[in-house]
Amino acid sequence: MTNPVLAGLGLVKKYGSTVALDGVDVSVGARDSLAIMGPSGSGKSTLLHSLAGIVRPDSGTVLLRGEAIDKLSEERLSALRRKRFGFVFQFGQLLPELPAEENVALPLMLEGVPRRQAVERARRWFAPLDLDGLEHRRPGQLSGGQAQRVAIARALAVEPDVVFADEPTGALDQTTSTEVVRLLTSVTREQGAALVMVTHDADVAAHCDRVLQVRDGRISNYTQFTVA
Amino acid sequence: MRSPVLPLTWHLTRASGRRGVQSHLLAAGAAAVGAFVMLVMIAATVGAGVRADRTAWRTPEPARNGTAVQALATTYVRGEPLTVVSLAQLPDRAATPAPPGLGTFPKKGEVYVSPALAELLHKLPAGQLAGRFPKPAPHASYGTIGEAGLASPDELVAVVGRAASDPAMSETAATGASYFDQDQAARAVVAGFSGTKQSLFTYGDQAAALLGVVLLAMPVVVLSSAAGRLGAARREQRLAALRLAGATPRQILGMTALEAAAVGATGALTGALAYVAALPALAEVPYGIGGWYPGQLWVGAEWFAGVVLAVTALITVSAVSTLRQVVSSPLGVAQQANPRRTRMIRLVLFLAALAYIWRSTGGGQLKGRDYVVLLLMFYGAFWLVGPWVVDRLGRIAARCARRPATLLAARRLSDDPRGAWRTVSGLVLAGFAAGFFSVSMLGTDGSQYRDQVAVITANAADARHAAAEARTLLDRANVNAEISVVPEDDYDSLLGGSRGIVAQISGGQARLDTAVTALASVGSGHPPYTQDYATAGDRSIVDRIADVSTATLALSFVVATASAGLTAAANVLDRRRVYGLLRLAGTPLRVLDRARVRETVLPLVVLAGGTVATGVYGSYKFNHAFGASLNVSGALELAVCVLVGALAMFAAISGSRPLLRKVTADPAQAPD
Repeated sequence: MTNPVLAGLGLVKKYGSTVALDGVDVSVGARDSLAIMGPSGSGKSTLLHSLAGIVRPDSGTVLLRGEAIDKLSEERLSALRRKRFGFVFQFGQLLPELPAEENVALPLMLEGVPRRQAVERARRWFAPLDLDGLEHRRPGQLSGGQAQRVAIARALAVEPDVVFADEPTGALDQTTSTEVVRLLTSVTREQGAALVMVTHDADVAAHCDRVLQVRDGRISNYTQFTVA
Repeated sequence: MRSPVLPLTWHLTRASGRRGVQSHLLAAGAAAVGAFVMLVMIAATVGAGVRADRTAWRTPEPARNGTAVQALATTYVRGEPLTVVSLAQLPDRAATPAPPGLGTFPKKGEVYVSPALAELLHKLPAGQLAGRFPKPAPHASYGTIGEAGLASPDELVAVVGRAASDPAMSETAATGASYFDQDQAARAVVAGFSGTKQSLFTYGDQAAALLGVVLLAMPVVVLSSAAGRLGAARREQRLAALRLAGATPRQILGMTALEAAAVGATGALTGALAYVAALPALAEVPYGIGGWYPGQLWVGAEWFAGVVLAVTALITVSAVSTLRQVVSSPLGVAQQANPRRTRMIRLVLFLAALAYIWRSTGGGQLKGRDYVVLLLMFYGAFWLVGPWVVDRLGRIAARCARRPATLLAARRLSDDPRGAWRTVSGLVLAGFAAGFFSVSMLGTDGSQYRDQVAVITANAADARHAAAEARTLLDRANVNAEISVVPEDDYDSLLGGSRGIVAQISGGQARLDTAVTALASVGSGHPPYTQDYATAGDRSIVDRIADVSTATLALSFVVATASAGLTAAANVLDRRRVYGLLRLAGTPLRVLDRARVRETVLPLVVLAGGTVATGVYGSYKFNHAFGASLNVSGALELAVCVLVGALAMFAAISGSRPLLRKVTADPAQAPD
C-alpha cells in the first residue's frame, strides 16, 4: 500500500460500559479497498463511523492524508464528509422526490456547483454504472440494484478521497449484490478513491483488496488478497 | 372465534414506541384544534342569533289596545350606536309590564342605562353625552338595564321614561322623518314588549357568522384529514407488512379505523373541552356591537357532540382512505412507486365550473338554494384546480431552482401537490373573501357628510328658527360650526331630502358629540344625527362581513398553522431515515430545514397571497367604479393578519426544527 489516504490509529470508543472499539489500527490507501467484517455488535459500523468522522473516538486519532480530523469542529467535519467522502448505505439514502440525476447532482449543488453543471456532471456517472436511460426516474421507480448504483454515483460525484459503504448490498439478492459490489469496487478504484466497506457477506468482501475481521472491538483477523 | 383486530391494534399501538406516541399526539392535537375552531365559529353563529333576539323588544310591536307609547331612536357617540328606547305610559290605561332588563315600567323622567353606557356617561363630559337625556332627580342616579334587556355587555342602550306628549314620542319624531330612519327609528302604541324585529346592529350578525362557518369548514376538514394522514408512512409500512403476512383487508381497515377513531375522539374531545374552558375569554372578543355574555356562546349539547363526532369521523375516514392502496397493492405502497400526478382535466373542469357560475349568476333569477349550490360549486372548483396549480408551481420552481433547498421544496410540491394544497387551501379560499371585504367601503364611507350634524324640522319656517337656535346653543357649547338651512328636495345632503339644518362642525369627534348633545332639543323631536346614522344600514352588513372575513382569515391561519406545523413534524418523523443519512453524508441541516419551510411558503405566498391580492384588487376596482374610497383601517387589519399569520406558520414549521435536529443528530448509537 502506498501512503495511506486514511488511517485510524489506536481507536477506542465506548458506549456506556460497552467497548465498541478497543485500540484499533487501520489504514487504507488510494485505489485501495478494505472490507470490514464481523458479527453483529462487533464494532465494525463504529469503526466505519469513526473513520468517516461521524462519531468521535474516545481516544486515538483519525488521519486523512496526514491531517487529524477527529478534533475538527462538527461544522468542519460535516463539510469534510460532504467534500472528501462519499457514502453508500443499505437503502433509503435517496430522496424519493428527486429524479435519479438530481439525487446524484445534489452533493455537487451543496458545494455551490451551478445546477446545470452539477446535473451534467452527474449524468456522466450513469453510463459507467449501467444506468443509462434512468436519469429521470425517481427512486420509487428504480429496482433495488438500480437505486444502489444511483447511490454509488452520488457518492462518487464529488470525486471523494474515500468512499464509505455500510452494508451496500444488504437489501439485494445475490446476483444483484455481486453486480453492485463489482461496480462499486471497480469504479471507485478507477476514480483513484479508497473504499471502506462494512459487510456481512464474505462473497461481497472478497471483491475488496483486504478484509478486516472485527470481534469485540478488536481486529481478529486480516486478509490481504492479491489483486488480479 | 373472537376477532383479533382489537387486541392486535392495542398491542401494535402500545408497541409503536415514542415515535408512534408522538404521531398520535400530533394527530390528537390536530383534532383538538379542528374541533375547537369549529365550535368557536358555531358558537359565534348560535350566539349571534341569541343576541339578535335579545334586541327584538326595542322595536315596538303595535297593539290594538295599547297601554303605552314606545319610540325607538338611535344616536351615536364616538361613532358607536346608542339605542334609545323612550317609553310613555298612556293615561287611563292599564299598567304596561316592565320591559326586559328593568324591574318596573319607567316613570316620566327616569332614565335606565346599560352598564357600558353608564361607564361612558361617567367618562365623557355631560356636554358630550349626558345632555341628551333628561337629568336625573337631585341625589338620584340613572337606573341600570339588566342582562335580559341587552344583547351585549358592551352595548350602549338607554331606556327613557317620558310623557306621552313629549316631542320625542311624536309620530313625526320617530318614523319616516328621515330617509335614513329605516330600522333605526320606530314608534307605536304598545301593550308589552313582544317585538320580533331584531335591531339593525345585530340582525345580520348570524348570517355573516354563518359565512365564516362555511369558509372555515373546509380548512377544518383539511386539518382533520391531515391528522388522519399523520404517520401515514409508518402506518403504511406496518400494515403493508401485516398484509404481506396474511392479514385480510377487512382486518387492516378495522385496525386503522379503530386506532384513528380513538386518537381522533381523544383530540376532538380535548378541543371541545378547551372551547368550554375558553368561553369566558371568548366572550371578551368583540363582534359587531361588542363582546358577549358567556352563556350566549354555549352551543348546546347537540352541537358539542356533533362536532366531536364529525371531527372523529373525518380523521377515521381520512386514515382509512390512505390505506386503500395498501389493501389493493401492498408492494406498490411499500415501495412508494406511484408518483401523485395531477392532470389537465382539473383545469378544464375548473374553467367549466367558473363559466357555468358566471352564466348562472348573470340572469339575476336565482333563489337562496341556487346560491348555496353555486357557492359549493365554486369551492369544489377551487379544490379541483388547487393541486394542479401546486403541481405546476412545483415544476416551474424546480426548473428555475438554483439552490438545493429550493429544488428539494419544488420537487416535493410536484411529488405530492394534494398534500401541499391541503395545507394552504383554507387560506386561499378565506383569503379572497377577506381581501375583498376588509378593504371595501362600498356604500359605507359617507365621507361627504364628515363632521356634519343634521337636525330635522317640521317645515321651512321651523328650519330657519332652528338654525338661529342652533347657533346660540353651539356658541354656548363652544363649538365652531357653519350652519345652513337645507331645502326639502336636496337629496344629496345629510338630510336625505328632509327639511332641516346641517351644521358643519370643526374640531373632531369630541366636538361633533358635543354638537349632537347641544342640538338634542332642536327641531321636530327627532334626535340630531351624523354620517354614522346615514351609513348605518350599509355598514351593518359590510362591516360585519368584513369582520367575519378577517376573523375567518385569522382562524384559517390558526388552522393552517396547525396543519403546517403538524404536517411538518409528521414529515420529519416519516422521513427521519433519509434525513439522518443525508445529514450523516454531510448535508447541512439548514438545507433540509429550508427545504421544509419553502415547501409550505412557496404555495402559501403564490396561492394564498395571490387570492388575497386578487380580492384587494377586485375590491379596489369595484369601489373605484362606484366612487368609494378604500377602508384604510380594514386594509391595515388585513395586512397585520396576513403578516402575523404568515409568521405564525413559519414559526410552526420551524417548531419542528429541534425534532429534525434530534432525529438526525446521532446516527450511530449502536456499538456495532
